Amino acid sequence: MHLKVGNKFGDRLILAAVIALAIAWIAPLVWVFALSFKPDEFLAQRTDVMLSPPFTLKNYLNILGTSQVFGWTINSLIVACTQTLATLLLASLAGYGFARTEFRGKNVLFFIVLAGLAVPEQAIIVPLHAMFADLQMHNTYSALVLPRLALPFGVFLMTQYFKAIPKDIEEAAMLDNASRLKIFFRVILPLSIPAQATLGIFTFLNAWNDYLWPLVSASNPEMYTLTLGLASTQTNFAQSEGLGFLMAQAVFASLPVFIVYLFFQKYIVAAVSGKTVR
Amino acid sequence: MTGINLRGIDKRYGSVDVINNFELQINPGEFLVFLGPSGCGKSTLMRMIAGLEEVSAGEIHVAGRDVTHLAPGARDIAMVFQHYALYPHMTVYDNMAFGLRNVGVPRDEIDRRVQEAARMLELVPLLERKPVEMSGGQRQRVAIGRAVVKEPLAFLFDEPLSNLDAALRGRTRIELARLHQRLKTTMIFVTHDQVEAMTLATRIVVMNAGRIEQLGRPMEIYHRPATRFVAGFIGSPAMNFLDVDRIEAPNGFVAVRLPDGTTVQTSVPAAGLPTQSKLTLGVRPEALSIGAAEESDVLVGNAEVVERLGDQTFAHIALRNGELVIVQAGADSTISVGDLVGVRLDHSAVHLFDQSGIAYHAQARSVA
Amino acid sequence: MTVAMKVEASADRIQARKRGARAGQRWGNALFILPFLVVYLLMLVIPLFKGIWISLLEVDMLSNSADFVGLDNYVELFSDEIFIGAVLNTFYFVLISTPVFIALGLALALALNRPGRTGATLRAIFFGSSVLSVTIVTLVWKLVLMPHHGMLANITESVGLPSLSLLTSETWALPTIAVVTVWWIIGLPMMLFLAALQQIPREIYEAAALDNASRWRTLWSITLPSIRRTVALVAIIEVILQFQLFGQAQLMTQGGPNNSSRPIVQFIYEAGFRNWELGYAAAASQVLFAMMLVAMAFQVWLSSRKQAY
Repeated sequence: MHLKVGNKFGDRLILAAVIALAIAWIAPLVWVFALSFKPDEFLAQRTDVMLSPPFTLKNYLNILGTSQVFGWTINSLIVACTQTLATLLLASLAGYGFARTEFRGKNVLFFIVLAGLAVPEQAIIVPLHAMFADLQMHNTYSALVLPRLALPFGVFLMTQYFKAIPKDIEEAAMLDNASRLKIFFRVILPLSIPAQATLGIFTFLNAWNDYLWPLVSASNPEMYTLTLGLASTQTNFAQSEGLGFLMAQAVFASLPVFIVYLFFQKYIVAAVSGKTVR
Repeated sequence: MTGINLRGIDKRYGSVDVINNFELQINPGEFLVFLGPSGCGKSTLMRMIAGLEEVSAGEIHVAGRDVTHLAPGARDIAMVFQHYALYPHMTVYDNMAFGLRNVGVPRDEIDRRVQEAARMLELVPLLERKPVEMSGGQRQRVAIGRAVVKEPLAFLFDEPLSNLDAALRGRTRIELARLHQRLKTTMIFVTHDQVEAMTLATRIVVMNAGRIEQLGRPMEIYHRPATRFVAGFIGSPAMNFLDVDRIEAPNGFVAVRLPDGTTVQTSVPAAGLPTQSKLTLGVRPEALSIGAAEESDVLVGNAEVVERLGDQTFAHIALRNGELVIVQAGADSTISVGDLVGVRLDHSAVHLFDQSGIAYHAQARSVA
Repeated sequence: MTVAMKVEASADRIQARKRGARAGQRWGNALFILPFLVVYLLMLVIPLFKGIWISLLEVDMLSNSADFVGLDNYVELFSDEIFIGAVLNTFYFVLISTPVFIALGLALALALNRPGRTGATLRAIFFGSSVLSVTIVTLVWKLVLMPHHGMLANITESVGLPSLSLLTSETWALPTIAVVTVWWIIGLPMMLFLAALQQIPREIYEAAALDNASRWRTLWSITLPSIRRTVALVAIIEVILQFQLFGQAQLMTQGGPNNSSRPIVQFIYEAGFRNWELGYAAAASQVLFAMMLVAMAFQVWLSSRKQAY
C-alpha cells in the first residue's frame, strides 16, 4: 500500500509527528538516566545539564553499598522467580487437564476458574490479609507468592494453547505406548515452550512490579520487594536533596525489567494481546 | 483366529448412533480399504481399532486376542495419521525411536530397526532433521517409518495421502503398494478417494452412514455394485442414472422406457427383480458411445460440454427431457458443442436399481 | 464374496461398557487440575466469600472481636463524604483517561502499523514504559514534576513561564495523574489495536486502492469499521483497569490536595490498613467489585457476540 505518490508526503508528516511524540515520551527516562550520573551537590544547583560533566558513579555505589536496595532486589528476585516457576507448573498441569483430558465436572470447574478472572485483587485483599495474619505468615516469601498463584490467567492461556496442539500428535504418542504423564512431559511440554515463555515472562514482570499486596503484607523493610522499597523512599520525598540517589534508584530498579523487555518483547506483546507466540 | 475381527461394534455419541452392530473379518495380510464419504463412520471405525475411541458395545480381536479394552499402545498396532502427527520437537530418528524406547526395546535393536526403515523409505540423509525442515512427502515417509519400526500386527492408515499434491500422491500410492508386498502385514486404509481404494485394496469396504454398503474386491465392486450408492460412488466420471419405467418384455430380460420415450432392452434377467414399475437405469460413461441421431435405439440429445483429456473425450449430452448423460467418446472423436447426436447403450453393461437402491446386473457381466 | 450387511441391531445385545480400568484413569485426569485448584480455592474463592462476610462485620482489632452489623457498613459508606468523593474521583479519572487511551492508542497503532525498523523502534518506545512498576513511574514523574528542579520546570522556565506545581493543585492533580497513567500504559491499547489492524485482510485494502479510495476514505470506510469491536473492547478493558487506580495517586499526591485525587482503592487501603476498619474496607471493596462486574459483564456480552466485520 501507500505507494501512491500523493500519499508519500502525508506519510512523512505523520511519521515526523510520531517521532516527535516518541522523543517527548522517553524524555523523562532519558533525563532521569542522565542525571543519575551527577553528584547530589550539583543537582541541588541545577538539573538542566545532561551531557556535560561533572559525572559520578557515587549514586550507584551508594545503592550497592549502603542502602537496602540490594536486599530488596534479592527479595524481588526470589519472589518473582518462585512465582514464575510455580505458576508455570500449576498452569501447565491445569491447562493440560482442562484442554486434553476428560473427567466428571470438568466443564463446571473450568467455568469456576474462568470466573476468577473477574475477581480484582482489591476485592479480596482485606480477607487475604486477615487470613495470613491469622497464620502469622506476613513478612514471609510465601505470603508474597501464594496469593498470586491463584490467578486464573495462566490456566486460561495454557488451556487455549494446549487445545490448539493437534490432537493426533498425542494420539500418536498413545499408540507409541507413552503414558499420560510421559505424553505430558515428553510431548506436550516441549511443544508448549512458546506459551511457557509468554506466560513466564508475563508472570515475572507482574511479580516484579506487584505493589498493592506487598504493600499490605510486607511491613518489615527487610522483606520489601524492590518495587515496594522504592515506594518507601519516595514517600518522604525531600525535594532537592539526594536527587541523584533517587534517580539512580529509579534507573537501577528499571534495569531488570528493561532487560527482560529487550530480550523478550515479542512474548510480552503476545501476552498482553492475550495470544501466544508460535 | 488371526487377522482382525470386529464383532457387533456399536458406537454412540450421546444418543446418536454412528455405527450399529458392525461385523467384519479382516484377513491376515490383506490390504483392506474403508471407502466412503466423510461422516460415514470409516475413520471412527479405524480409531476404535486403534483404541483411540472406545466402542459403545462389541468386541475387537487382533490376532485372536481381545483388545477391546486395551490401551492404544498395548494393541500391537501402528497408525499413520492424516496430518502425519510427527513430534515436531524430535528428529526423524527420535520420532521413529520414541515408541520403541517406551517399551524398552534395546538400543542396538532400536538402531537396527530405525536404520532399516530409513533405508527402505530413503530417509537416511534426513535422520537428524526435524519435521519442520522437511517437505510433505518426506514427513509422510517418516510417519510411515514410525509405524514400520514397530513391526506391528497391523498398520492403520487414516487418509494418509490426502495432504499430498497430485503427483506425490500417485508416487506414495505405489510406495505403499510396494510396502505391503514387502511386509505382507495386514493393512487397513481409510480414504474417500476411489482411485486409492481401487489401486491399493485387496478388498474394499464401501461404507455409508455407518453401514457396509458392499464388501468385495475392487473390480467386483466396480462391475457389480451392490447398491445405487456404491454405483454412484465408484467410477469417475460417475455412473449415469436415469429414471425409467419397466415395461413388459417377453424374453425373460427387463426392458425399460426412458423419460423421452425411448425403450431400451437390457440384459438384466427379469427373474428376481421386484415387480415395481419405477426403476433407475445406471450406465457408466464407457458403456455409452456416440452415434448418429438418426440411428435406431439411441437416445437423442445435444452435446453441451465436450471435455478432451487427450486419451479420451467425455461428452455431456443433454437429452430431450433435459437430463444430462456423460458419454466416453474416443480420443479422436470429432464431436463438438451443439451437435445433435445419438447415444448408444451397451445393453450388456447396464444396471438397474429398485427403489430401495438394490442393484440388479446385466447377465454378461456376471463373472465375479 | 458375501455382502456383510447387517442393518438391524437387536436392542438386547448391547453390551454394558467395561469401565473399570478407564474410570480409574479418568479420576487420575482430575489430578492435573488439583494443585491449581487447591491454591485457587484457598487464595481466591475462600477470600472472596470471606470478604463478603467481613463486610457485614464491625471488626475491633484491639479486642480482636467482631460483631455482625448487617449492612451497616454499606449504609455508612454512602453517607461518608470521603468515600463518595473517592467514587466521584474514580469516575472522573476513568472518564478523562479512557478516551485518551482509545484515541491515542488507536492513532499510534495506525501510525505505527508499518513494517521495518523505524516502526518497531517506535512501537518499542511507546510500549516500553508499560513494563515499569508503578513505583518507578511515580518516582520518575515526581522528579519530572518537581517545582524549580524538575524537567518540566526546566522547560517552562526556559521559555519564561512560571514553574507549575500540578500535583498540589486541586484542579490539576487528578488530570496530571491521568497523564502519567497514559504515559505509563498507553502500550496496552496500542498493541491491542495493532493486533486488530493486522487481522484486516490485505486484499480489502488492495480492493479499496483499485476503487480509488483516498486515505481518509479508506480509514473511515474500511479500517475503523473493521476494528470497531476492538475499540469497544479496549474501552471496557481500560474502564476496568482504570477503576483500579491506586499507586499513582497514593504515591504522587497521597489523595490530596484536600481529597481531590483519592481513588476508591486508596480509600480501601487506608480504611483497611491505616485505620484498620476491616469491615468498612471490605464493604468498600465489595462496592468497587460490583461496579467492575457491571463493566465486565458488558465486556463478556460484547465478546460473545459473534459479529462479522
